[in-house]
Amino acid sequence: MTHDPHPRPSQTAARIALAAATTAAAGMLLFPLATLGRGFTADAALLHLSGSVLNLTSNPETPLPAVGATVTLGWLTLALLAATIFGAVRRERWFWLTGLLSFLSALAAVLLLGGGLNSEMARVASDTALRPGAKRQLRNFYDGGGMHLGLVLPILGGLIAAGAGLSARPKVWDRLNRLRSLLVPAVAIGLAVVVGALVVLIVQPVVNLSGQPLTLWGSWLAKSDLVYFVYSSLFAPVTSLNPLLDSLKLATPLIFTGLSVAFAFRTGLFNIGAPGQLTMGAIGAMLVGVYAPAALGWLLLPLSVIAAGVGGALWGAIPGLLKARFGSSEVINTIMLNYIASAVFIFLIGTESFPFLGRTYNLPIKAEGFEPRSQELQEAAHLPTLLELLNVGRDGTVALSIGLLVALAAYFVARRLLRGRLHALIALAVAVVAGALTWRIGIPVQVAGSQLNASFLIALACVALFGTLMWRTATGYALRAVGHSPKAAEYGGISVARGTILAMTLAGMFAGLAGTHYVNGGALDEYRLKGNMPVNVGFDGIAVALMGQSTPGGVVAASLLFGTIDTGGVDVDQKLDKVNKDIVTVLKALIVLFIAAGGFLSRRVLDPPPPQLDAPGPAKAASGPEPLPNLGLTSTEVSNRAASDHSSAHKDSQA
Amino acid sequence: MNELFTQLLTTAFLVTFIRSVVPLLLTAMGGLFSERSGVVNIALEGLIIFGALAGAVSTLVLEPVVGAAAPWLGWLAGMLVGGLIAWIHAVVSIKYRADQVISGTAINLLAAGVPPVILTALFGSSTESPKVEQALPLWGVGDLRFSPPVFFAFLTVIVTWYVLYRTPYGLRLRATGEQPGAAASMGVNVRRMRYSAVILSGILAGTAGVFLSIGNLDSYVRNISAGMGFIALAALIFGQWKPLGVLAATLLFGFLQALSITLGGTDLLPPTLVTALPYLITIIALIFTGRANAPKALGRPYEG
Repeated sequence: MTHDPHPRPSQTAARIALAAATTAAAGMLLFPLATLGRGFTADAALLHLSGSVLNLTSNPETPLPAVGATVTLGWLTLALLAATIFGAVRRERWFWLTGLLSFLSALAAVLLLGGGLNSEMARVASDTALRPGAKRQLRNFYDGGGMHLGLVLPILGGLIAAGAGLSARPKVWDRLNRLRSLLVPAVAIGLAVVVGALVVLIVQPVVNLSGQPLTLWGSWLAKSDLVYFVYSSLFAPVTSLNPLLDSLKLATPLIFTGLSVAFAFRTGLFNIGAPGQLTMGAIGAMLVGVYAPAALGWLLLPLSVIAAGVGGALWGAIPGLLKARFGSSEVINTIMLNYIASAVFIFLIGTESFPFLGRTYNLPIKAEGFEPRSQELQEAAHLPTLLELLNVGRDGTVALSIGLLVALAAYFVARRLLRGRLHALIALAVAVVAGALTWRIGIPVQVAGSQLNASFLIALACVALFGTLMWRTATGYALRAVGHSPKAAEYGGISVARGTILAMTLAGMFAGLAGTHYVNGGALDEYRLKGNMPVNVGFDGIAVALMGQSTPGGVVAASLLFGTIDTGGVDVDQKLDKVNKDIVTVLKALIVLFIAAGGFLSRRVLDPPPPQLDAPGPAKAASGPEPLPNLGLTSTEVSNRAASDHSSAHKDSQA
Repeated sequence: MNELFTQLLTTAFLVTFIRSVVPLLLTAMGGLFSERSGVVNIALEGLIIFGALAGAVSTLVLEPVVGAAAPWLGWLAGMLVGGLIAWIHAVVSIKYRADQVISGTAINLLAAGVPPVILTALFGSSTESPKVEQALPLWGVGDLRFSPPVFFAFLTVIVTWYVLYRTPYGLRLRATGEQPGAAASMGVNVRRMRYSAVILSGILAGTAGVFLSIGNLDSYVRNISAGMGFIALAALIFGQWKPLGVLAATLLFGFLQALSITLGGTDLLPPTLVTALPYLITIIALIFTGRANAPKALGRPYEG
């Protein structure tokens, strides 16, 4: 067989590159290149590729950073994208190079722009510092500036085109093929973003404080700026520390509920009961935290956490039992239990007394006052904030201990290196030692007080428990077998009823532990059970589990994403008058819908045809294996790594 | 206890009772079509909300233009929007063979997010719409006066029974839900049957929503459906997927809801716990019915 060192990119790869490069080039022409600055109500000064600036702020005299080189680099990027389009149309071998170059030149433009904005920011800051009497600005105008769609699209498009072009090389294809499972979530997010953008375009009028009427072109630029503003705000918490901590805080309960739904999914069950289980967990944590005798001392906190888990587990066990014993659908039962939990919740903290058969009885749980809330937890049952826990600074300084990170890294490295029966335990011991040794080493940071509390660590422990239980134990094997095919599991000697009850109980426990975040962790601004507990976090768990494909790591990643856009949603809510944070709920719902529909991708893309279907006949075999149509790969190459694809195809046929 | 009985034997209780039954009945009849065709419709709750929203919003928008005809057009809009959203569920679960429960849950999540966005854009409040000046008229005598969807709901039962058991469409629908492969081999277009049934369920659930927003109240408020879609689904299972059984089940659940509303005002039981009563009874009812008589192809995407 002759070896072709530079195989041509496949038909599909060329098409993908063509679409990506064309979209990016069109985006550069149609959308603004950069935001030069943004005021408090999202009013912006926009730069287009042509070099023209559209100033929508109230101050037409605002000094703007120099943009000459950015625009030049923009034109260079456009030329490179045009070359990529040309190469993709002709299926040339080199077009990955121009794609990569356009990615780099767009990136350079972004960095250059960032430099200009930074110096403006420094100028304003020193200006304010020079005039001590001057009113402090709420927000630096240039702080909100940066790249815009006209630069984001070529960065993405160039990268996709380069990847598509390089996919003709087996090694790169291998790498890309491993990412195939990310395809559906990624496409679903992309589609949801597009639909959300349409909603924003329709709902929100242009923010124009300049007093000048807009031309048709100008209003188009301003409209597209709205969309970019919304999404850049939603995803902003990634870039700075304090919002990042906030987003971790919002992500914590999502990890719990996401694990809950994911655990049930693995066993073939659909747990819509996370809101109820969360509520019961919070009630359990509150009952122990408030009413357990203070003499227990430090034991109060672990007991309260356990009570949260038990509360959720009991609430999850009920539908599990009913399904196992009577075959009634867990879907309907968990929904009904949500309503019942909500009634119990309101009953406990909403009233001080209740009537019963004509008499009135007192209920001591509700605290004094108008607001529905419980008594406050005893001090010993409070979870420390993560900042308190990880702060090793002295004399009032804040320094985050790096022990936790080192321990995690040590665990994974040891897991990789070690083999043998006790390797997991040894790795754990190594992690503990490494963590303890490095605990006193801290990184000094500037952070405002954050409510991110130690329930985040409980969540991480749950993630580890999920992974270990599901993939390292016989119980986990039984649960997954039940999920794949209940009948086959039954014949294999696995009790489906037992599996169902166990799965729902553990799922309930995960969701119930989310209660610790709200009650023990003080995430409701007070250390008590309050009426404003966001139970819909339980429903978001469905989206998180689906997006994380029911794996522990995926659940964490999806939770972080949702925590981020939840944090950003508050920002959007403040700045725009017609778009509020419910747009985030819409996005989540759309993501679930699109993931359910497999991202509207064809099955050939998601599940490549098994190689044996395409087995070469005698005549073909003589000339060597043919590349498969959608992969640009030969069947023998595919069959080498078909194992994972087989299992997913198998799962589909089960469903 | 005498007190309880005197409260139950009043016209006011009868009115509450019928008003509790109607949205359940309409929604459950819609669910009946969908599930008899083999598509699980857990989206009913969301469909009610979209219907209620569309009914209230279009009545408000049309009031200055068409006057008294506005609520009737609002009803029509509620049906259309309900059908449209159900069509989304149909596309995702029939064309793209998604898990029907997940697709339905997504519609319910959408129903939590979309109404606040629309209400904020139109009226500046994310939780409720302004009051409509003219809700649907009330027909009847004395204290027993109901808006037209009430009569429509009971008519629906008869029509559903007739369509299901006495027309070719009904025969094909039942066949599609039991054995889609066999139905297809007899020349039935399984997909088209399922699409029509799911859209029909959206139209009926949308009507239930319209009844809630402009037939029972005079505005759309957040959480207007309060779990009725799920109770309707439970009634559908309890009624064994048969029109008359479903009628009986909704009468039972409606009675329980009316009871919890009436008891909530007395000093017999804690009102908050009484609201949980219908849900508790649903769980108990499901123990006795389970999924034994469900259409055999229910929840299975058709692969043909």
